[in-house]
Amino acid sequence: MDKPQAVLKGTALSSQGRETGEDARLVLETAMEAGHLLLENGAEIFRVEETMTRICRHFGVEDSQFFVLSNGIFTTGGYSRQFAKVQHIPVKGTRLDKVVAVNQLSREIESGKYTPEEVRRELERIRRMPDKPLLLQFLASGVGSAAFCCLFGGTLAEGTAAFIAGFFLYIFMKLAAFPHLSRIMAHILGGAMVTAICLTARHFGLGERLNPMIIGAIIPLVPGVSFTNGIRDIADGDYISGSVRLLDAILVIVSVAIGVGIVLTAVGRLGGGALWK
Amino acid sequence: MEVILQQTLAAVAGTLAFSLLYGVPRRYELYCGAIGGAGWFVYAVLMQKAGLSATEATFVAALFLTFLSRCAAVIEKCPATVFQIAGIFPLVPGAGIYWTSYYLVTGETGLALENGFAAVKAAVAIVLGIIAVFELPNSLFQTLCRKRKENHP
Repeated sequence: MDKPQAVLKGTALSSQGRETGEDARLVLETAMEAGHLLLENGAEIFRVEETMTRICRHFGVEDSQFFVLSNGIFTTGGYSRQFAKVQHIPVKGTRLDKVVAVNQLSREIESGKYTPEEVRRELERIRRMPDKPLLLQFLASGVGSAAFCCLFGGTLAEGTAAFIAGFFLYIFMKLAAFPHLSRIMAHILGGAMVTAICLTARHFGLGERLNPMIIGAIIPLVPGVSFTNGIRDIADGDYISGSVRLLDAILVIVSVAIGVGIVLTAVGRLGGGALWK
Repeated sequence: MEVILQQTLAAVAGTLAFSLLYGVPRRYELYCGAIGGAGWFVYAVLMQKAGLSATEATFVAALFLTFLSRCAAVIEKCPATVFQIAGIFPLVPGAGIYWTSYYLVTGETGLALENGFAAVKAAVAIVLGIIAVFELPNSLFQTLCRKRKENHP
């Protein structure tokens, strides 16, 4: 049964220099953790696979195999003690700073700066990296909405209305919709809410034309990450993950359109269409 | 031209805001804003001055901004998507999507179809632009952009 252990290269794995199945296990689990962090924070599939392979190769675990999907990682490998693990990774918010940090870490690993234990500690630190303050995010959403309202021909007053809509939209999405609702329902309600706020703003004389206001304020809901990453994945040949991400983008867009449409229809019925022009 | 510059400023502000929402590290935020603004500037100039169709202009702008993102990625040694995701926002047919649902609601199916089709064409143009630039070998960007980095170490 006992096969001779393959010699581990790279930095010393354990302090005594023993190379055991435990070490390979640690390396593989570390690689999976790095992959997990990348995947849930908005990295492309090839980057996840590449990073995991890099970590394993650097620490001398050569016979490992990864299969990465948009919402899960399958890993097998190790020497005499076989390692196999499947991890389900649900979609979370995009945090590109974490993707950058893991990417940086994997470069530093290659230059031989870390032992596997240190890599794990680093990954744990990256996982805990604080998010931007909520108020700043709400403001950013508002500013983004106002900017895109002006980009699509809105006046300053209309931009202000879009700012208000974008600001409250993100409060709703961040605190209520994303944690508690399905993506479809969250985006329908988001689109509806934006439209309602813009209608109200115009009712009170803030901005004249509804269209640029709503166009600006729905932009924070546009699924830019799913769209861009889906394209990248398909271009890389990761068809399953790419299709799933593009499907997500389409669902989100259609949901937002439905939300906007519902409110416009309801108000149109009530107000005889006079409210729209 | 003045209008285009004003719009470009708005695109820079919008892109900056979204880079913040997606947690782009602070030191890269300015790149994102510049790339988003550059993408919109190319799009607007091509469409309004050079008379290209919206789809063609979107394609060239997507090419351009993906190219810039890859350059920035090589200079800063970090993933290109970090710059690209926020930068692509001004080109994404958000307005087209809105008009499609608007005309569907008002019962003008023909206009809805027209706008929906235009939005899909813009999306396909972005897809082609992104894919075309990512087919270019990394070594090209290394030679193009790495040199500047070495000048001020």
